[in-house]
Amino acid sequence: MLTTARGGNRGAGLAMDFAQEQAGDVTVVRLAGRLDSSTAPPAESSFARVLDGDPPRLAIDLSGLEYISSAGLRVLLVVAKKVQQAKGKVVLFGLLPNVREVFAISGFDKILTIQADAAAAVAAAR
Amino acid sequence: MLGFVEEMVLLQLDETQGGLVDLPRSAADIVLAGAAVMELALLNRVDSDLERLFVVDAAPTGDDMLDGALHELAAEGAALTAIAAIERLTVNAEKYRQEALRRLVANGILREENGRHFWVFRTRRYPVIDDREQREVKGRLRQILLTDEIPDPRDVVLICLIEACELLGLVLAADEIARTKTRVAELSRLDLIGQAVTRAVAEIRFMIRHSSAPVF
Repeated sequence: MLTTARGGNRGAGLAMDFAQEQAGDVTVVRLAGRLDSSTAPPAESSFARVLDGDPPRLAIDLSGLEYISSAGLRVLLVVAKKVQQAKGKVVLFGLLPNVREVFAISGFDKILTIQADAAAAVAAAR
Repeated sequence: MLGFVEEMVLLQLDETQGGLVDLPRSAADIVLAGAAVMELALLNRVDSDLERLFVVDAAPTGDDMLDGALHELAAEGAALTAIAAIERLTVNAEKYRQEALRRLVANGILREENGRHFWVFRTRRYPVIDDREQREVKGRLRQILLTDEIPDPRDVVLICLIEACELLGLVLAADEIARTKTRVAELSRLDLIGQAVTRAVAEIRFMIRHSSAPVF
């Protein structure tokens, strides 16, 4: 399933794509584009739909994510908290250098599990 | 649920005496301005990245104090750094403090007591008459700081602001503070605006320390 959230606050064409597929019992979510204040609300709604699993097991592919703001980081924090509460697992992979820098400076790389590639992320989410 | 400004004013009150705890006034002002900016961020009115803070939605929030802050940031036009945005609002800190105290009294959390010191100087104290909110917040923060529980964004903001004020002692015992140093440092970094508050307060403390150090 592929959904596209188009942000309206900071110029036309700035959007985020949210796609999901199953890898066994792990849901692989692909985020692409920009995750900021304009795309955070639809991203939250989309994540809410994939957190139904019991317990949720998510591998989030950020290889297409070009930009993340504070609002975007909060979306991932809320997802991680919900997954933890449901005793599931969430693993990120494919961070581009600029997104990795944001994770390093904000310390998100210390509280979220990050793997190098899809295979490792799916294995870690099991 | 209290807003961050009210929450910080409440935490900065000495529970028994009803006066403000010992904190450099300029640092307390930065924390209140930072609390307002962070509230606007969680209301999706401002957003930030590693370089800039920008108003993304200037629509009123329905809270006069926050709407004033939002209006001032929007009037800047171009994006600011997070520190510049906080400094821009720091001049309003006393206004925020008084408004927060008024709201806390109106909500039955504090009682206003007017008196005189040595029969001359007017004094005003705010004893806490309903500490349920404080106890609930402290309990939640203890749970997050003492375990590996992932905080929600509101708790991250509170941890940032409390750490910036060096008020962790209100939440944790001395041995717990020593034990959770790394955890507190990690969680305090999770909010980029919170990082700016911490840096600005640290700069003030540095200046105060060095301006009062003996010169040999």
